[in-house]
Amino acid sequence: MFEPTSHEHNVLARASLDQCVKCTICETQCPVMAVTPAFSGPKFVGPQAERYRHGLSVDHSLDYCSSCGTCTLVCPQGVQIAELNSVARAAMKKDHMPLRDQLISRTTLMGKAMHPVAPIANGVLGFAPARWAMEKVVGIHRKAAMPTARSQTFSAWWKKHTPATPPTRGKVVFFHGCAGEYFEVETSRKTVEVLEHIGFEVVVPKQGCCGLPMQSNGIFDAARDHVKKLSAALDVEPGTPIIASAASCAGMLKHEAREIMGVDDPALVTVGARVRDVSEFLLALAEQGELPLDFTPLDLTVPYHAPCQLKGQGMGKPALELLRLIPGLTVIDAEATCCGIAGTYGLKKEKYAVGQAVGKPLFDKVREINPQLAVCDTETCRWQIAAATGAQVVHPVWLLHKAYGLE
Amino acid sequence: MTDTIVIGAGLAGLGAALRLAQGGQTVTLLTHGLGGLQLGQGTIDVLGYDDQPVDRPFDALPAFVAGHPDHPYARFTPSQVKAAVDWLAELIPDQLVAGDGANHPVPTALGAMRPTYLVQPSMVWPHPTTVAVVGPRQLRDFYPTLVAANLERTAGVTATAYHIDLPARPGEADSAPVVYATALDDPAFLKRFAGLTAKVIGKEDAVLLPGVLGHRTNACARLAEALGRPVVEAHLAPPSIPGLRLNEALTALATSLRVRVILGSKVTGFEAAGGRVAAVTLHQAGRDQVYAADQFVYAPGGFESGALELDSYGHVTEALFGLPVLGADREDLITGDFWADQALFATGVGVDAAMRPLAGATPAYDNLYVAGGLLAGAVRWTEKSGDGIAVTSAVAAADAILRGE
Ligand SMILES: Cc1cc2nc3c(=O)[nH]c(=O)nc-3n(C[C@H](O)[C@H](O)[C@H](O)COP(=O)(O)OP(=O)(O)OC[C@H]3O[C@@H](n4cnc5c(N)ncnc54)[C@H](O)[C@@H]3O)c2cc1C
Ligand code: SF4
Repeated sequence: MFEPTSHEHNVLARASLDQCVKCTICETQCPVMAVTPAFSGPKFVGPQAERYRHGLSVDHSLDYCSSCGTCTLVCPQGVQIAELNSVARAAMKKDHMPLRDQLISRTTLMGKAMHPVAPIANGVLGFAPARWAMEKVVGIHRKAAMPTARSQTFSAWWKKHTPATPPTRGKVVFFHGCAGEYFEVETSRKTVEVLEHIGFEVVVPKQGCCGLPMQSNGIFDAARDHVKKLSAALDVEPGTPIIASAASCAGMLKHEAREIMGVDDPALVTVGARVRDVSEFLLALAEQGELPLDFTPLDLTVPYHAPCQLKGQGMGKPALELLRLIPGLTVIDAEATCCGIAGTYGLKKEKYAVGQAVGKPLFDKVREINPQLAVCDTETCRWQIAAATGAQVVHPVWLLHKAYGLE
Repeated sequence: MTDTIVIGAGLAGLGAALRLAQGGQTVTLLTHGLGGLQLGQGTIDVLGYDDQPVDRPFDALPAFVAGHPDHPYARFTPSQVKAAVDWLAELIPDQLVAGDGANHPVPTALGAMRPTYLVQPSMVWPHPTTVAVVGPRQLRDFYPTLVAANLERTAGVTATAYHIDLPARPGEADSAPVVYATALDDPAFLKRFAGLTAKVIGKEDAVLLPGVLGHRTNACARLAEALGRPVVEAHLAPPSIPGLRLNEALTALATSLRVRVILGSKVTGFEAAGGRVAAVTLHQAGRDQVYAADQFVYAPGGFESGALELDSYGHVTEALFGLPVLGADREDLITGDFWADQALFATGVGVDAAMRPLAGATPAYDNLYVAGGLLAGAVRWTEKSGDGIAVTSAVAAADAILRGE
């Protein structure tokens, strides 16, 4: 049980479950229920079970919900199904959080530990006996996709970096996220270079993790601390857009921290309203006729996967529209629900097979459309797709960077 | 960049978006959740009942409209309705059988024969003398014994109920329809299903199975081949797998025509100037975002999707634009008799011939159009008229826009 005043308790008690008309639309779209009987589906576990919870979980199949948020997205009645389930899971796991879940949700820690010894760390992760031991001891599946550590962090690059051209229009704040600091350094760098190329002055405040991995593992207290600290750090240059190259972390700031964890923090509200996914920002510029369209044609056909946490922001698929402005480039929406990683879900030894089955339609599409190169906005999804298909999977900004001739 | 914004992804919204995109427009579709197609039966109703079952809906329309002068169909000639419905059937010929002017009888989950106009190939009733009704025990909500007994009364057939034991997945006792349909997409599973069915049934002319015959494949055709006789899909309670198939086919067509679909946010406000709607506000994650366009098609459904609201004082309002609601000022909106006609259900928005909502005698806004369940004057579910109204009004609104009206 937990304190009667806590958010967990309030939300469990005052859920939006009464809006549910039992139409089962959420069930038909749930990617997990489609591949395993271990999860009895969003309607049962969400608005239905919620009535009987009184703060305690009645159905442990809840643990199999991946929190991808598809149910909330498609529900025509506005039931916060995924949010209900995330809160209930946090309550369920509160007193016995597995060590594994505490470890894998600390991306910053992993990054800090790995980058000084990047070649060694990557070697260990590529070494089968070590992965076998990790599975036995920690519970991370031996085949699960792991990030590649980089020897140079984004901050180290940024310190030495000078813009190629002087700024011609306003400032933007750049939010790279912790993966963008340690693992997806290239994506961060390319985002900055594209923003500078089209005339912005980029400001990069010192920043930490948004807490999303902790939140999705139900470690709410730590996640709340992280998101509040991050909001304070990003709350600079009032009124300027905050540009994110990590689509799911942008979602955390925009709505998840408030809707799932009830974080009530003025800086989070301001920052959440200023955050733009980089493609969302550039597409809006294009629509106002303010995006330079002097692209070099890219003679390519690539599949595109919109990650769940990007779709959850309810803004459509901006990268799809944006990339279509590049001549010669054919972008095909893979129209897949989820890649199966759902943050850290697909890493766990007991859920790895479920994650792979969830992602299979997407992996098949990628292999069919272009087995060499695919596009996706979120890092963990990129790692998952790459590991499953062998394709190189890049953030949309990579293609823009190339089309602007910035290589 | 957007010519027209369509609000709502039910049959009306998807229909309007498709028609406009075919006409060369750039269309953005804003929708809070998925539309109602998979709550229906995956058929297209035009007119099923005018008190009595209707055999030929277009021939029946003039008399029906004469009796219902405020009905949405009163705005259209029967040939306009037919042209709109035919257009839909031609859009997705793999999913819908072209109509020949007559209603099809389709068995429901209770074994009643329901008249509907366009059916999927898996629902064509072969007018058998004897029928085998077969259901797997591990599927929810399909009861062959009940269906067979009712079919004998309603369809004039000799019907025999059979059960098979085949879990969609090992250990699963009561699969959801979508899980069973997905299992039948797998050729090996389908083969086992056909084998078990062949073993239990007799020499009946046709086989009636629950409406889960394939999500992404045409399992019905394969089963008919394996069983050597016609196989028909019966409706189930929602979710309707045939409805899901229609929804997916129409949505895929819309995205292939470059309709920009924005799913998951609700339209909560609008800006108007000079008698025109300039933009709508979408309540997105983190902030409200304004979407501007030249025209707006509003296809939000009715009470069932929150577009019409009834408060505790008995006031009916339209939720977004505050459009006048016809029939809302009646005293007897709701009667205590459950089976009686409820005047409340016929409330809705009135429109002109171009589907522009009316405020008094003139359009509320020059560039706002309404389609589907929001229109006043119909009780769609008892008349079995909702799909026809949705498609015809969507086409009328889109054509008015394309003509520049
Ligand atoms: C229980 C039931 C049974 C029925 N049975 C039949 C039948 O047998 N035959 C028949 O013909 N009809 C039947 N109907 C009626 C049928 O649902 C409709 O006639 C038809 O499908 C309506 O389609 P639509 O596109 O107008 O609306 P819907 O399919 O309801 O779609 C409305 C769309 O608008 C969206 N929306 C609403 N408000 C907003 C907003 N503010 N912002 C963004 N998006 C919004 C919703 O998310 C949804 O996508 C039945 C209805 C119900 C409720
Ligand atoms: S989609 Fe929404 S209303 Fe429908 S069953 Fe799921 S939670 Fe309930």
